[in-house]
Amino acid sequence: MNKNIRNFCIIAHIDHGKSTLADRLMEQTNSVAKRDMQAQLLDSMELEREKGITIKLTPTRMNYNLNGTDYVLNLIDTPGHVDFTYEVSRSLAACEGAILIVDASQGVEAQTLANAYLALDANLEILPVINKIDLPSARIDDAKEEIERVIGLPADDAPCISAKEGTNIDKVLEKIVTCFPPPKGDENAPLKCLIFDSFYDNFKGAVCLIRVFDGTVKAGDQILFMQTGRKYDVTEVGIFNPKMQPKDELSAGEVGYIAASIKNVSDVHVGDTITHVNRQTKQALPGYKVVQPVVFCGVFAVDGSRYNELKEALLKLKLNDASLQFSPEVSQALGFGFRCGFLGLLHLEIITERIEREFNIDIITTAPSVSYKVLKTNGETLEISNPTSLPSPVEIDKIFEPMVAASIFTPPSYVGPIMQLCQDKRGTYKNMTYLDANRVRLEYLLPLGEIIYDFFDRLKSVTKGYASFDYELAGFEPSKLVKLDILLNGEKCDALSLIVHEDSAFVRGRAIAEKLKKIIPRQLFEVPIQAAIGNKIIARETISALRKDVLAKCYGGDVTRKRKLLEKQKEGKKRMRQIGSVEIPSEAFLSILKLDDEQ
Amino acid sequence: MIGIYVHVPFCNNKCIYCAFASFVADKREQQKYFDHLCREIENCDFLDREVASIYFGGGTPSVVDTEHIIKVMTTIKQHFNILPKAEITIECNPCSTDKEKLKAYKQMGFNRISFGVQSLDDDMLKFLGRRHDRCMALEKIKLAKSEGFDNISADLILGLKKGDVVHDAQVLIESGVKHISAYMLQIESGTPLEKMLKNKEAEIKTDDETVDNYQNLVEFLQKNGLKRYEISNFALKGYQSKHNKAYWTGRAYLGFGLGAHSFDGDKTRVANPSNFEDYYAGKKMIEKLTDAERDEEIIMLGLRCEVGFDINQLKKNILSNPKFQQYLKSGILQKEGKIVKLNPDFYGVSNTIIENLI
Repeated sequence: MNKNIRNFCIIAHIDHGKSTLADRLMEQTNSVAKRDMQAQLLDSMELEREKGITIKLTPTRMNYNLNGTDYVLNLIDTPGHVDFTYEVSRSLAACEGAILIVDASQGVEAQTLANAYLALDANLEILPVINKIDLPSARIDDAKEEIERVIGLPADDAPCISAKEGTNIDKVLEKIVTCFPPPKGDENAPLKCLIFDSFYDNFKGAVCLIRVFDGTVKAGDQILFMQTGRKYDVTEVGIFNPKMQPKDELSAGEVGYIAASIKNVSDVHVGDTITHVNRQTKQALPGYKVVQPVVFCGVFAVDGSRYNELKEALLKLKLNDASLQFSPEVSQALGFGFRCGFLGLLHLEIITERIEREFNIDIITTAPSVSYKVLKTNGETLEISNPTSLPSPVEIDKIFEPMVAASIFTPPSYVGPIMQLCQDKRGTYKNMTYLDANRVRLEYLLPLGEIIYDFFDRLKSVTKGYASFDYELAGFEPSKLVKLDILLNGEKCDALSLIVHEDSAFVRGRAIAEKLKKIIPRQLFEVPIQAAIGNKIIARETISALRKDVLAKCYGGDVTRKRKLLEKQKEGKKRMRQIGSVEIPSEAFLSILKLDDEQ
Repeated sequence: MIGIYVHVPFCNNKCIYCAFASFVADKREQQKYFDHLCREIENCDFLDREVASIYFGGGTPSVVDTEHIIKVMTTIKQHFNILPKAEITIECNPCSTDKEKLKAYKQMGFNRISFGVQSLDDDMLKFLGRRHDRCMALEKIKLAKSEGFDNISADLILGLKKGDVVHDAQVLIESGVKHISAYMLQIESGTPLEKMLKNKEAEIKTDDETVDNYQNLVEFLQKNGLKRYEISNFALKGYQSKHNKAYWTGRAYLGFGLGAHSFDGDKTRVANPSNFEDYYAGKKMIEKLTDAERDEEIIMLGLRCEVGFDINQLKKNILSNPKFQQYLKSGILQKEGKIVKLNPDFYGVSNTIIENLI
């Protein structure tokens, strides 16, 4: 058992400098040649770098010498977003220590606390680090005090660094060795590995990212995934340096990868325990769960004939993202497409953007929905994630909606507006704590369905971006929900249906009708837009008939120009969808979510 | 039988809405241009054909020295067989038209004048950059009549912020105009008008107001015997423009001059370049229409005309187009036997309909 290994991760609120510190650590330990340095090495996906977040994990092995002793430091990256909380908890479970970065100018934020709690739950040793001390607005002492009071961690000795400028990085490295305990475990015991992520490699198949707790694993071993019961032959084991580097074996305490000709990542479940088929460990690692998507939406190709390409794109994305779920969906309005399930709104956004960017398919996404539990009058229970499948009101006994426990950190001056917002969003007040004179923590129980609507945008706007927000799922509660339908020219447009709370249905219906009136171009006929609950019309707008769309004369017999103008105009309308007799632009389907922009 | 179009790309000044090939040019350039144009006629592949119509358009044919018009006309007469009843039109700008020119035009065989009146509202004429006023326009129409021109057409623009197009039409008819072309003001890219509208330095009617305007005009003209035979063209009986109808019904025509277009009546369209350099170098742009493209043209042009189109002319089976059936059912299209027409109530939105059929 190598006592000179340290397995650790870095946790932080978004933008507090996690990836920058990781880059510096790698640079100082010469784990990567200077010429290969690319800002924020670990965030390798273009989109990750753009959004400043980490989606796929990339562990890195660093060699470090302190006082003449060589150490192996394994940095296990964690996804930095609430959508991926379970993945975060699994990567934490692979570590003994966590560096908790706090931005000296921002102090403790919602995700700082949420991540710190996750780390404490995982029994990790936590090393607070104050970052961005180079900023003029840095309040080092305040940040330390907040860490001590809010999280309850001693922060006196916390290294104060500037990851950006490379200040005091050596102190962090030293602390990693002295603060974090070496891994425990027995390399002679039966094999016990934790899978904390996986990715797809074109040659190796699905590759498992693992932490070995007990035993030793090498190529040729027969292994068992204890939760799924699947068996494989190991083809390769190795470490990340930061690229994949095969090794003869991995043993207790080490972090690396296992390849075993696994066909797809869906067969690799994060949180599962790997052991040997012939010499099984007695007990699997705790904390395994199957992650279920919580946000759903329809995804359709703008050009309906590209259905198969869309399917290919989703299949390819799923290769590397087991949490993405999809099944075929047929919409009267949008034709053939897919109902997709995501871990959250960000996950949804990332996947849809990747379809458009990497696969070049223009898509229409319908309004995101959560999954409701419906108890029918005949005693049957349904799970509904598509508004169109909601049974008619007479068949429904009760509807339950998913709730989240939300925690919001804010300067005290925004408490009023935030409470108003949470109330508008049907939140239940739980608690309010003054962390210090400048910061308040508000806790609310909120319906998830309200959060995916426009909560983030509104929170940002009422607090000028000063509040931070985090949540975790908190079960289901009964609620008075209704299906809001939109009718165009008297015909129901299924892709525009929403499940909303009874009390806000009227306001939402009217706002949607008004918005659609602005977005849908005038047609040959007058088009009434109606919002309805069941048979009851609750809002109506009318798009007056198109009057003028005519070309000027064809001068001097230039018929070609005229024909080309018409062809161009026709081409421009390809992004339109025909709903009954009404043509509606593809933007309309998502625009109904952003009603507040123009109010 | 063919039509001949001659393009005169010169003007005294450029109007704010104009995106046509027209230039303010000196005498020498004009001389060079017409010399080349005559050679183009002489070298044409379709000499000695019977000609049913000739049209001098521009630009402003009336701004150039009459000798150029005479020379071109003479060349045409030498090389083609002009039918006795041929319609021969020249576009004139009221401000550059005078008695001598009209006499000369008459003598050369021109029998139709198309005046670029555009409006009888002096403020609007000034706004558009026209050099004439209401008074001059009416005076020149009178002059043309007294010089023996009976077939007189006037252009009007729809969509101007001020002025009353119905009143203008009434005055024009009273002064002896037999044909009116009324076009909705089109905002072409790169024109001063486009810029002015963008910068909010100018105002025009909204689409709805323009269409109201158009419909009032249509009603008035029909009441006064000027039948709409194409979306924008109205004429008393016997005064429909033969030349323009050739464009719309797919007959052959030859175009000479800068940016002029020719059509062989079948599948070939030829366009002259719209810059002088390429034109003088003798470049041509030849377009061979596919069956589908020719079908599109037939539908597009036919639906703009009162006569419609004959579905037998099409290569494709339009009856199988669901949109076509939908339009028939809703009365947007009217079908009598093999002839399909656009319901005149929908002329204003003809693009939308045509688009769905091509």
